[in-house]
Amino acid sequence: MLKWYEQIVPDSDVVISSRVRLARNLTNYPFSTKITDEQASSLVEEVKKLAPILTEKTNKKYYACNISSLSDIDRTAMVERHIVSPLLAEKKQTTGLILSEDETVSIMINEEDHLRIQAIVGGLNLEEAYAEADRVDNIAYEQLHFAYDEKYGYLTSCPTNAGTGMRASCMVFLPALSVARMIQKLIEEVGKYGVTIRGIYGEGTKSMGAIYQISNQKTLGMSESEIIENLKRIVMQVVKQERKRREYMLSVNSDEIQDQVYRSYGILKYARQISSDDAMALLSQLKFGLDCGLVKFDREFNIHKMMMGIQPGSLQWTLGKSVGSVARDKSRAEYIRRELPSII
Amino acid sequence: MLCDRCKERDAKILYTEIINGVKKEQHLCEECATEYTSFQMEKPLLNSDLTLGDLLSTILGGFTEEEKRKAYTPVTCSNCGTTYDEFLRIGRFGCHKCYSSFDMDGQLGRTLNSIQGAKIHTGKRPLGYSSAESERNRKITEIEKLTIKLQEAIEKEEFEEAARLRDLIKELKREEAASNA
Repeated sequence: MLKWYEQIVPDSDVVISSRVRLARNLTNYPFSTKITDEQASSLVEEVKKLAPILTEKTNKKYYACNISSLSDIDRTAMVERHIVSPLLAEKKQTTGLILSEDETVSIMINEEDHLRIQAIVGGLNLEEAYAEADRVDNIAYEQLHFAYDEKYGYLTSCPTNAGTGMRASCMVFLPALSVARMIQKLIEEVGKYGVTIRGIYGEGTKSMGAIYQISNQKTLGMSESEIIENLKRIVMQVVKQERKRREYMLSVNSDEIQDQVYRSYGILKYARQISSDDAMALLSQLKFGLDCGLVKFDREFNIHKMMMGIQPGSLQWTLGKSVGSVARDKSRAEYIRRELPSII
Repeated sequence: MLCDRCKERDAKILYTEIINGVKKEQHLCEECATEYTSFQMEKPLLNSDLTLGDLLSTILGGFTEEEKRKAYTPVTCSNCGTTYDEFLRIGRFGCHKCYSSFDMDGQLGRTLNSIQGAKIHTGKRPLGYSSAESERNRKITEIEKLTIKLQEAIEKEEFEEAARLRDLIKELKREEAASNA
């Protein structure tokens, strides 16, 4: 079964993936600021029981585990693939995870809220991501007692999530707008519509390789479909602006850009050691070239998969062992050399 | 004009420095000015080093000054022991009961309104969820939902839509008054 980052999807020249996350809490445990270690363990055990039920009621296989039982490498790799949040991976208390086989749906247990149900799909497809999360939410509600209030909706640990408890987001690739230094302006503009743009791993993180996350801010007073509609409209606007900017760049600077794309390919294909930051910047250039049709490969190639594969955790996960940063830079170069197709 | 330092954001501050008679002028953005000079800006709201907790307590705290002047009684959630002050400080509820514990005189609704720009949930209800009051509440919610839409329509200057909503709200309110009488 293909994972979302392995699929070839429309609009992926700008929108890499769409994600929906629902925050849910149980009435029989205190929220995360007050939950004791013992209660946390029993919460995780209770919620983990959902996995076989989800497997039975959907057409996917679900697995459950305690985060602490995973190796450091597994944990880092899962953060890099957006399956778990950095907070969940680092938390001292018992935390758990339910994950579907295809990595589309995950439930983080004992994160900031008791459950964070998350669905992620490739390209611009917030509706499908929501449908997935919604289905799991309904099945979970049959088994667990969620804190829900007529007036304030789903009750969450942080008041910024109350109501729908929903955060919808799109991961977008904005090289042309970044180069034109238009991101800051864009952040200010979309802010007026209750939408934020942040770094690739969410709150307080930096952007890497011109990849950003666009997400809704408000969770109260709007229905799930209104939030999705609103976000989708803005993302489509951003897509349009990015494409227009790319066209403009190509019309004035095409020789230079082509040269840059080929140079990036050259370094990626022949380097003997490379850091993840460097690799990410070069892959981002190469992706730009591929999207604009400046380069063509001799076979189908999913660059998003490679962008994830070169991250420290994923790389070590593929290697099956933990290695120091110099050795890592060498094996990263080797991995890229091996996987990158030839240009035709 | 872009900031001389980060070359990313718009320069908003002209910073003049005279050291040993040597004058140096820089055009800086707010972020760089705060970081590299003695210039103290009020922290911009979207600055990432401002934690959400800080941000919330700034917003939430603003309310209590007035509240405190009125006979201020410390509120504690009977279920988990979280105090209202604690909630203001860390910006997190202690348990699901905190929502009702801290909702004195619709206080929580105002708080949520200042954070989210709305005070009523209009989205999904869990399948099969019902309560004794839900029928009545739904009607209230319907009116309040329409009121929110009305506000939006006015902001967007869609006056025809606004007029339609206004009449709808009137109608619902009249129905409600009639059923209560």
